[in-house]
Amino acid sequence: MKINNLKKEEVLRNLVTSENGLTEEEAKKRFSEFGPNEIKEVKKTPLSIRFLKQFTHFLAILLWIGAGLALLSEYLHPGEGMLTLGLAIIGVIFINAVFTFIQEYRAEKSIEKLKLLLPFKVKMIREGVEKEIHAKDVVPGDLIILSEGDKVPADSRLIETTYLMMNNAPLTGESEPVPLQHEPCKGELVESKNIAFAGTTVVSGSGKAIAFATGMRTEFGRIAHLTSAVETGLSPLQKEIVKATRIIAFLATLIGVVFFSIGNIIGKSFWENFVFAIGVIVALVPEGMLPTVTLALSMGSQRMAKKKALIKTLTSVETLGSVTVICTDKTGTLTQNKMEVKKIWTVDNQQSTIHLLMKTAYFCNNAKFIEGQYKGDPTETALFKHVRENIGDLKAERISEIPFDSERKRMTTINMVDGKRFGFTKGALENVLPLCAYALINNEKTLINGKLKEEITHAYHSLMDKGLRVLSFAYSELSTPDSEPEKDMIFLGLVGLEDPPRPEVPDAIKKCHEAGIKIIMITGDGSRTAVAIAKEIGLAKGNPVAIEGHDFMKMGDRELREKLSEKEIIFARMTPKHKMRVVSILKEEGERVAVTGDGVNDAPALKKADIGIAMGITGTDVAKETADMILLDDNFATIVNAVEEGRAIYENIRKFVIYFFTSNVAELVPYIIYVLFRVPLPLTIMQILSVDLGTDLLPALALGAEKPTKDVMKQKPRTPKDRLLNAKVLSLAFLFLGPIEAAAGLFGFFYILKQAGWQWGEMLAANNLLYMQATTACLTGIVIAQVANVFACRSFRESVFSIGFFSNRLIFAGIVFEIALQLFIVYHPWGNAIFATSPIAAHIWLVLIPFAVVLFAAEEARKLIVSHRR
Amino acid sequence: MYKKVLSAVNEHLNSEIAARYALNLARMCGAKLYLCFIAEKGMPQQGISKAEDAIKRLFNEAIATGIQVEAITETGDVVEEIGKIVRHEGISIVFASTRREDIKKRFYAGTVARNLSLKLPCSVALVRVVHTGKIHPHKILVPLKARIDHIKERAYFTARMAECFHSRVFIFHVTKPITKFFHGEMHLTPAQWEKRLPENMKDFMEHLIRYEIAHEGRLAPGITARSITIEAAAKRHDLIIMGASERGLLSSIIKGNPVEDVLRETPCDLIILKPRHEVE
Repeated sequence: MKINNLKKEEVLRNLVTSENGLTEEEAKKRFSEFGPNEIKEVKKTPLSIRFLKQFTHFLAILLWIGAGLALLSEYLHPGEGMLTLGLAIIGVIFINAVFTFIQEYRAEKSIEKLKLLLPFKVKMIREGVEKEIHAKDVVPGDLIILSEGDKVPADSRLIETTYLMMNNAPLTGESEPVPLQHEPCKGELVESKNIAFAGTTVVSGSGKAIAFATGMRTEFGRIAHLTSAVETGLSPLQKEIVKATRIIAFLATLIGVVFFSIGNIIGKSFWENFVFAIGVIVALVPEGMLPTVTLALSMGSQRMAKKKALIKTLTSVETLGSVTVICTDKTGTLTQNKMEVKKIWTVDNQQSTIHLLMKTAYFCNNAKFIEGQYKGDPTETALFKHVRENIGDLKAERISEIPFDSERKRMTTINMVDGKRFGFTKGALENVLPLCAYALINNEKTLINGKLKEEITHAYHSLMDKGLRVLSFAYSELSTPDSEPEKDMIFLGLVGLEDPPRPEVPDAIKKCHEAGIKIIMITGDGSRTAVAIAKEIGLAKGNPVAIEGHDFMKMGDRELREKLSEKEIIFARMTPKHKMRVVSILKEEGERVAVTGDGVNDAPALKKADIGIAMGITGTDVAKETADMILLDDNFATIVNAVEEGRAIYENIRKFVIYFFTSNVAELVPYIIYVLFRVPLPLTIMQILSVDLGTDLLPALALGAEKPTKDVMKQKPRTPKDRLLNAKVLSLAFLFLGPIEAAAGLFGFFYILKQAGWQWGEMLAANNLLYMQATTACLTGIVIAQVANVFACRSFRESVFSIGFFSNRLIFAGIVFEIALQLFIVYHPWGNAIFATSPIAAHIWLVLIPFAVVLFAAEEARKLIVSHRR
Repeated sequence: MYKKVLSAVNEHLNSEIAARYALNLARMCGAKLYLCFIAEKGMPQQGISKAEDAIKRLFNEAIATGIQVEAITETGDVVEEIGKIVRHEGISIVFASTRREDIKKRFYAGTVARNLSLKLPCSVALVRVVHTGKIHPHKILVPLKARIDHIKERAYFTARMAECFHSRVFIFHVTKPITKFFHGEMHLTPAQWEKRLPENMKDFMEHLIRYEIAHEGRLAPGITARSITIEAAAKRHDLIIMGASERGLLSSIIKGNPVEDVLRETPCDLIILKPRHEVE
């Protein structure tokens, strides 16, 4: 039993109130018990804590250890430059934290927008007196007065109504006003006609209602609760980065422990081992990776914005690329939302009957033609426009109207035409035909028998099977003002309206199918119409499973789960409140889900999905604030373009991860050489940082801007098992490209030493000019090899010449920056001072170039072999 | 098991609504109902009258339903006086409503509700009323921990509440996500989670089968309190029945207190049961 089932007296008794309202004292008591009637955000982790968390993940901890060791060694061996290094590493931690936080940060304003839909002040009766109070002071048991234009402050049970019409759009998405009444209603509270819900507005009429749920306990509060409490967790990319950092941390620890032990065994001093430990950490951690990921995502979001997909959270850029299911609305997204009359059907196909049908469509219609423009609901507008264009404007006085509502699924008007009173009705056939006793055939009222009924139903179904939205029309002649307008009506015929699909949608759907993405259409239309449209746009090829709203409600989760596993599935006659359940079950099954929505009650589903997509044109502010992406043109094809971009970004991130790791190997090997053999340290830690946070950055970023490859939308969505840092990536960087690059650096180092007559085992001081030149050559060798590596990393399988050597201009800009920075480090006194470098002769550069050529040629050869094998 | 049910009533509407849950339980169990109002010292006359009016209404309702009922009015300390009545009358279970000011207090400490729950020698059901429109709950959410005591009493209480309102019971267990060092959080489908149902939860469900109560069981990973309130809001549950917190103050400070969090954010009425019986 719920409050909607009760009689007025029972309502008053249950809520211990009366028709005089509560006393002020009782209201005060209830306020203290139930709290203010307001929408508030559920308690969440404060922003500051979320920021601080960026300093405690695995990569950060590893760097903290590095910084700690550097500061400790500064304490133990002052003046070795370890203080600068320690501070530099702390700087890296901060840079990484800020960039990662930027990636995750998003201003949460959906609750603010929801609050705007509630009233500020309300009229009510307390102690028998009408008063105006702040909406937040409303308590259960308060007697609220509703009149035209009022917003309802709390979920309330109506006890008195006079032609009360409500706009429930914020809750249901239905734009048509709904008539409410005060009699007890059976069934569910949320669908009850005697309940005025918070956030809805009185369109006309008046009433009195008793508040029974306030604040977060209202239906509106439920939406707010779900919208702010549901957390989608880490995005697929964030998860991959977490996994990658753990692998790096593991490798760094493993290599550190192994070589530290070896160093001890072969008699290296504690200080040498100390330097080694810090070196391993700094060398293995790709310090520039997180900022580059953020910048690449940011560039990706800008490219998407140009394609009319506005991204609100940076990580969503990549998440889009991993979606496996897109749940999409039909009207306006797959179709143009430009309804037009496509077919008129009457039993006799006589012009006179069609003419009367058109008159009915004109009079039983609220669309208007104002200042050269049609205004109103798209379906009504289409009918109105069709009649105006075919038979011109008509004149009749409207006496009254029984508006359309989702339960009756029909609308009736009473009009005076040429001094006679008529009732005109339009609506779904199943709701109109039972009202008709006759059909107009050859200008005569013919009794509807079973055969005729069958013929009409058959025509109705065939129009729906063509993907048309079908309305039926009937009229009645009313002899007296008291005559029942919806009784013994005369059936006129059917009108099939079409909302044409967007021309680019079939191609977009084909792309999705090729990309292994399942599309689920969720529409308010009937299942026949939905299936026909699905077939027309290529969304369904066979006989899709079509589930209608009422069946959906009865279905248990297990059954729904099974249905959702079908290849083709369509949800018809659905309301937005059902979407969250669909999204939740899909997510539980491991799918990565994108969902579209525009209404306030779409917000929980938008939040729950991996990617919530709001409509930029028709969407409410609440939907837009909740979504991760806004479609500026409401077009499904834009989602598919964004998915393509998202997939490309993931591929690109993998490309620059290989790029970073290649140089990390080249930075690590000198330290291993240093521990294993009696040679000076070939590369200083600050020089490592100059690569990771300096010369590597822009070329890596340029890799992040690579265009999608041709087959990016021909691959299945990547599975959660497909890692960013998989065995292929690691082996390519650690066993193939990295060693070549390490050879370049070490060659440069020993070339300088040997030229100056250095003997094996001879140790050099850190400020020794020869030593500084040798480390500079090592650094230069790595940087030169990285120039070739940036080309090598542009694709995984195709030759760089086949994708176009000059197709990514940013690469060249990155290389120019890389070389310019290296020149600064090598030849500018400031560069020399910061990185302990010393100028080297020009021919040293030339000596190192062959290594770059070898790296590039080796990678091209590998790609050639791989493509042949495929 | 519940032969004598006591409901503490005061001048607030939520205590009257809480008492209706007690009244219905008494009806289902064929128990005697005690409606008890303890007037604290210095309580204004208006408050006393309101509480007495509530007692009268509930008394009449109980009589109309055919329940044996007794009204008791005392003055003094609420916990102390109710304790005396419980001991004297041999009360099986006490219903009391929690107040908003109680849940505002961190760790729920020092509140009448907590003291009743801790000090009474019988079972205690603390009722948090937040939604006055759902008079008879159709869908009852029962969040369970992996390890629970007094399974039989919990199942009995839930079954009787479900029976009197013809409700469907949804048992819900929130577990920690499964994580691996290199893989991070593992995703399991509901079918895979189902295989990991805790033994106590299975026991509880078996008891419900014995009582012929329609129910479903579900296990989901997440943060306990948040997952419970989201489940209740998303699936429009009308009532949550959960066990009282067994965490001490220190443990609550360090690990948080899910019961306290659910109390604050519950989207529907909530009963926190502290069971002290065992069914034969």
